Amino acid sequence: MAQSPARPYDLILHDAVLGSLVLEFPPSGPAAPARRSAREEPALVRGLLLAAALAFLGLFLFLPLAAVFHEALKKGWQVYLAAITHADAYAAIKLTLLAAAIAVPLNTVFGVAAAWAIAKFDFRGKNVLITLIDLPFSVSPVISGLIYVLMFGLQGWMGAWLQAHDLKIVFAVPGIVLATVFVTFPFVARELIPLMQAQGKEEEEAAVVLGAGGWQTFWRVTLPNIKWGLLYGVILCNARAMGEFGAVSVVSGHIRGETNTLPLHIEILYNEYQFAAAFAVASLLALLALVTLAAKSFVEGRK
Amino acid sequence: MSIQIQNVSKSFGTFKALDDVSLNIEHGELVALLSPSGMGKTTLLRIIAGLEWADQGQVRFHGEDATDTHARDRNVGFVFQHYALFRHMTIFENVAFGLRVKKNRSSEAEISRRVTELLKLVQLDWLAERYPHQLSGGQRQRIALARSLAVEPKVLLLDEPFGALDAKVRKELRRWLRRLHDEVRATTVFVTHDQEEAMEVADRIVVMNQGRIEQVGTPDEVYQNPATPFVYEFLGDVNLFHGRGYARPHEVELFRESVQSSIAATVEHVAPRGAAVRVELRAADGGATIEADLSREDLRALGVVAGDRVYVRPRKVREFEAKAA
Repeated sequence: MAQSPARPYDLILHDAVLGSLVLEFPPSGPAAPARRSAREEPALVRGLLLAAALAFLGLFLFLPLAAVFHEALKKGWQVYLAAITHADAYAAIKLTLLAAAIAVPLNTVFGVAAAWAIAKFDFRGKNVLITLIDLPFSVSPVISGLIYVLMFGLQGWMGAWLQAHDLKIVFAVPGIVLATVFVTFPFVARELIPLMQAQGKEEEEAAVVLGAGGWQTFWRVTLPNIKWGLLYGVILCNARAMGEFGAVSVVSGHIRGETNTLPLHIEILYNEYQFAAAFAVASLLALLALVTLAAKSFVEGRK
Repeated sequence: MSIQIQNVSKSFGTFKALDDVSLNIEHGELVALLSPSGMGKTTLLRIIAGLEWADQGQVRFHGEDATDTHARDRNVGFVFQHYALFRHMTIFENVAFGLRVKKNRSSEAEISRRVTELLKLVQLDWLAERYPHQLSGGQRQRIALARSLAVEPKVLLLDEPFGALDAKVRKELRRWLRRLHDEVRATTVFVTHDQEEAMEVADRIVVMNQGRIEQVGTPDEVYQNPATPFVYEFLGDVNLFHGRGYARPHEVELFRESVQSSIAATVEHVAPRGAAVRVELRAADGGATIEADLSREDLRALGVVAGDRVYVRPRKVREFEAKAA
């Protein structure tokens, strides 16, 4: 390496500086050089690590992101606008928003309730509940989707009953909503449990002793204490709800204009070699990701 | 309001926090629950507050059964060791909380008047617009007290109220609590593991050990007439003679010559302690350490120094049955 001859010189300089320190502070002197070198990597190593990290980020994150927008706009704004205002794209956007609009509030309520129960009360089966909350994280989304097909599909456990009552879940909107709810289930709870455990239950106890009822305690004490953590969880939950592919793909049936969410619509366009259109719709999801990141870092600062 | 605790037991798993505890607290009393750390005294306090349920037994307020009354309806004030102030509220809102959640809420002007009055009582009215994290530990604990007093509790419960504070602040707050109690006149129970604190502040001390009450009495009674060896050892220094006779260091006499029922000992160390002098001795027979407190005059008259052979006699000995050891 071209720079390596410079190193010994560097080190000598370093030691000279430390030497003067030793003279000034004899008692702490001997330990100081060892500690310093143990704590701080040489400049070269730091530079290399930084370069590697930046190169990795550029290659795997920034480049694809730029590529999405580049491909989307390659054939001009007209094609771009046509792709995202197409009736099928419009339907996909609507369905995605619908799924998120149901899944996010539902999982917010569930997440707060579960975290409250786990952090503030002792009960039998607490550990089982904590494990169950993690289930959607540990199971492949495809399996999550398949479970719904097995339960509600025509050949599934409840298939005959559902057909008799003219109810459609799989390959219809309810299935997509259910799959989305399942997959995004842990986000809020996972975010809140450690936060609420760390805060303890003394403030709630203080409120109760002062005469507050359950709801008063929740609205006036618990919720204000967790609001930023909660918002953070909701943002992540929403991002996943809108971006979920695997589980939704299994239960969707890919009926254009009816059961396609944004990610599924992108896949169909891509498979039909409509690259510009596929990337145009993909850019919408990419924008969502950027907005999510911005919101996330804002909320993180407040936490 | 008086408090009656009748045959209360409470276990956590296999750990017996309270074992058949009965206790009467009179109206307007200031009582200390004293025991080494983690011995069920906090549990008892929380049971009185309704924050914990007894497995067995009853809690009565002024003769009325409160065992099944919810904490929010007991009208007690509770002060937590770590203050438990509402972190997102100003000091003013913290103190106002109890008034705001009341069923028939007072007017905003009335709340404001009352909060200001309470903040003046704890001498911190100038902090009203601050947040808890901007206050020192001692200030937070005073605010916690003001907050608990807002609902005009008939019973005030304090869980190691000064435990998290440094020694100097602690001493100040003790005296201040005593004065406050005399002013407010609520029945007050506080938990502590600090003997000095209990002695200095309380009207009566309840000494607890392993989930049981060892002795209840005035500070003087429990110090002068300990009911059990545990109380003897827990409240101040003690010498053990012949494995069963207990005597405090200030109840020990030293002689140059052997006298009746004295034992021989060697002086190991002489240490001045304020007005008195602590002499550490080693008994010649068994090698047990004996501590004696002498006035400076007595010591001068006796003229002992380390290494001297002397004779020790307890002026007063309290004996317990053999199982005590």
